[in-house]
Amino acid sequence: MDIGQILVNGLVLGALYACLAVGFSLVWGVLNVINMLHGSFIVLGGYLTFFAWHSFGIHPLVSLPFVALLLFGIGYLVQYLFVNKVVTAPVLTTLTLTFGLDMILYNIMTVFFSATPRRVTLDLGTLSFFGITMPVDRLFGMALALALTGLLYYVMRKSRIGRAIVAVRMDRAAATLMGIRVNHIYAITFGVGALMAGAAGAIFAMVFPITTNLTGMYIGKAFVVCVIGGLGSVPGALVGGLALGLIESISGHFFGPQHSLTVGFLVMLFILLVKPTGLVGKRGYE
Amino acid sequence: MSDYNSTKLSMGRSQVGRAGFLNGILPAIFLAVAVTAVPMAAAQETIRIGAPLALTGGLADEGMKQQLVYGMWAEKVNAAGGIEVNGTSYQVEIVEYDYQSDGPRAGQLAERLATRDRVHVIMAPFGSGHTVITGTVGERYRVPTIACVASSESVFSNNNPYLFGTLSPNANMTEVMARYLKEQYPDLNSVAILGRDDVFPKSMAEATATAAEQAGLEVVYRELYSVGTMDHSSSLTSIRRASPDWIYVTGYTQDLILARRQMADLGVTAPIITMVTGPAYEEFTEGLGSLAENVTSSSWWHHSTTYEGYGIWPTTADFYADFLKASGGSNPDYIHGSCAGSLAMLEEVLPRAGSLDGEAIRDALAATDIMTFYGSIRFGENGMNEARDLPIIQVQNGEIVVLAPDSIKSGDLELISR
Repeated sequence: MDIGQILVNGLVLGALYACLAVGFSLVWGVLNVINMLHGSFIVLGGYLTFFAWHSFGIHPLVSLPFVALLLFGIGYLVQYLFVNKVVTAPVLTTLTLTFGLDMILYNIMTVFFSATPRRVTLDLGTLSFFGITMPVDRLFGMALALALTGLLYYVMRKSRIGRAIVAVRMDRAAATLMGIRVNHIYAITFGVGALMAGAAGAIFAMVFPITTNLTGMYIGKAFVVCVIGGLGSVPGALVGGLALGLIESISGHFFGPQHSLTVGFLVMLFILLVKPTGLVGKRGYE
Repeated sequence: MSDYNSTKLSMGRSQVGRAGFLNGILPAIFLAVAVTAVPMAAAQETIRIGAPLALTGGLADEGMKQQLVYGMWAEKVNAAGGIEVNGTSYQVEIVEYDYQSDGPRAGQLAERLATRDRVHVIMAPFGSGHTVITGTVGERYRVPTIACVASSESVFSNNNPYLFGTLSPNANMTEVMARYLKEQYPDLNSVAILGRDDVFPKSMAEATATAAEQAGLEVVYRELYSVGTMDHSSSLTSIRRASPDWIYVTGYTQDLILARRQMADLGVTAPIITMVTGPAYEEFTEGLGSLAENVTSSSWWHHSTTYEGYGIWPTTADFYADFLKASGGSNPDYIHGSCAGSLAMLEEVLPRAGSLDGEAIRDALAATDIMTFYGSIRFGENGMNEARDLPIIQVQNGEIVVLAPDSIKSGDLELISR
C-alpha cells in the first residue's frame, strides 16, 4: 500500500504548493513583476498566525481571514507606493526593487520574531483508510488550500474586480480605454497576491515549522509551480502545484529523497523546452 | 535583555554592519580620523577580540547567541580587572561587525579586523563554511582565529597553523553514541539513517553509518534529503517498512521538528530515536512538546553537565547562572557553551603567551591543555579540539538528561514504546 500512501502524500503536498504559488503566479502573469517579496509574505502570514495562537489563543481558522486581509493591505500599499513607479520598466528593475524590499522585510522579521522555527500545534490526530495514514491537520490544510484557490478562481471569473484583473492581463491598453484604472487594478492584484501568500502562511504554520530561513525556498517552489502549470492563472497554479507535489513524492520514494527536488527541477526544464506556456498556460504568458 | 545590551554598548565596542548610508563614505572618513587620532600606546591598553557575527540574515539566531556570550565574558573579565599579560593588566574589547550571513562579507570584515582594527584574536562566525573564509584571512595576517562553532574536520584539514577549533570531530560523537546505545540496549540490531544533504548533517549521517556498522548494527535504511525538503513522508514510509530498532535523523531544527512530527503522524517509531542536534536546542523541545520526549542526541556541551576548570566561570553552574540573568531566563546551548568556553580558555592562554604578538598567542594556543566549564580543551595537530567523551543527552519529562559519559551522567536511557 506504499504507493497509495505516496500518492496521497503527493496530492496533499501539491495542494499546499498550489496555495503557495497562486498569488505569485497572478502577480507575475498580470503585472509581469517577479515578486521576490512573496516568500517573506508567506512567512509573515505564518508568524502572525502563530503569535495570534500562541499569545492570545486565537485559533488559526479565526485569525486566517484577518491575517490575509492585513497582508492584502500591505501588498496594496507596496504596489501603490513603490512598484507602480517602475511597473512599466524592464522586469529586472521590478525584480530588483522587490528583492530590496524583501531584504528589508526579511530582516525586520528576523529582528522582531527571530529565526527560531515556530509551528501551531493543533494535534488533530490521524485518519487511516485502506492502509493509508494521513494526519488530519495536513488534510485540513489541503482542504483549506483548495477552498481558497477555488474561491480566488471564482472571484477572478465572476466579480467585476476579477474581470478587470483579467482584462488588464489580456490587454493593458484596451483595458485603459475601457475606463479601468490600471494602477488601482495593479495594486489590487499585488494585494490579492499578498493575501494569498498570507493565507498560505497561516495554513503552513499549522503543517510546517515556519522560520524566516524558508523565504527563499518558498520562492523557489513558486517558480517551479508557475513554470510547470503556467503563468497568471489559478488553474495553472493548481495543476503545477499538484504536479510538483506528486513528482517530489514519487521520485523521493523511487530515487531517494536526496533527488526529489532535482527531479522536480528537471521536469520544469523539460516543460520549458517542450511547452513554454506550462501545462495549462496560454500563449503570451510564457 | 535590553538592560544588558545597553551595558555592553558602554564597553566601547565597535558595531558596524547596516547596509546603506551608514556603510558609506562618511563612516569611513570618521574611522580614518579616529584611527589616526588614537595614539598607539592607548590602543594597546586593551586586548581586542575581533568578531564577524551574523546579526542579520539567515544565521542571525546563531550570530546573536555568539554576541550574547562575548558581551557577558568581556563585561565579567573587565569587572574582575582584565587579563594580565607580561606584567600588564589589559581590559578586553570585543570588536564586532555584522556580516549579514554573507560569506564573502565575513571575509572582508575579518580582513578589516586584522588590518584596521588590529585585533589580537578573531572569533570565527557560525558554521564550517564561514569559518574557513575567516580562518584564511587570519592565517594571512597571522592573527589566531578561534572557531567555536565549526565541527567538520575538513575545515581543519588545510594545515592552517592559526586556526583552532573548540568543538570535537563529528566522528567522535557517533562512535561514542553507537557504542553506548548497544551497551544499554543489547537488542539493538538495526538502524535507519536519514540525513540532510548539507555539510554538518551529512557528515554526521555518514559517520553514524560507519560507527553503527563497527558496533555490529545493520544499516537498513540510509538516505539523504535535499536542503529545502518540505515533506519527509516518502522517506518515513520506507523507514516504517524497514522497522529499525534505532532511527537516526540529522538536520537543522526546522527539519527535525517536521520529521519528528511526520513520524508521529505516519506511525513511524523505534525504541530509540536520535535527532542531531535537536534536543541540544531549546527551540526543539519547545516546538515539539510531548513529541520531543525520549528523543536522544549527541552534543558538544549541555548546561546540565558538571565540568570544572579555568576561567571567569569556574563551573558549568556558574556560567549557567550568569547566562540565565543575561538572557532573561532562556537556557544556553552548545553554541553559547563553546564560544564562552573559548574565551574562558583565552584567560589562560594570553598570560601564558606572555605577549600579544600573533605568533606568541598561536604558540600558546597550540600548547593548550586545560579544563573549563565547557569541558577539556586540547588542540590536536590540525588545530581541532581533540576527541573526548561528548555528552549523550535525552529529553525526559521535558528536561534534558545527560546519559553519558559516566562522569557527568544524570540519568539512564529510556526507550520509546512502539
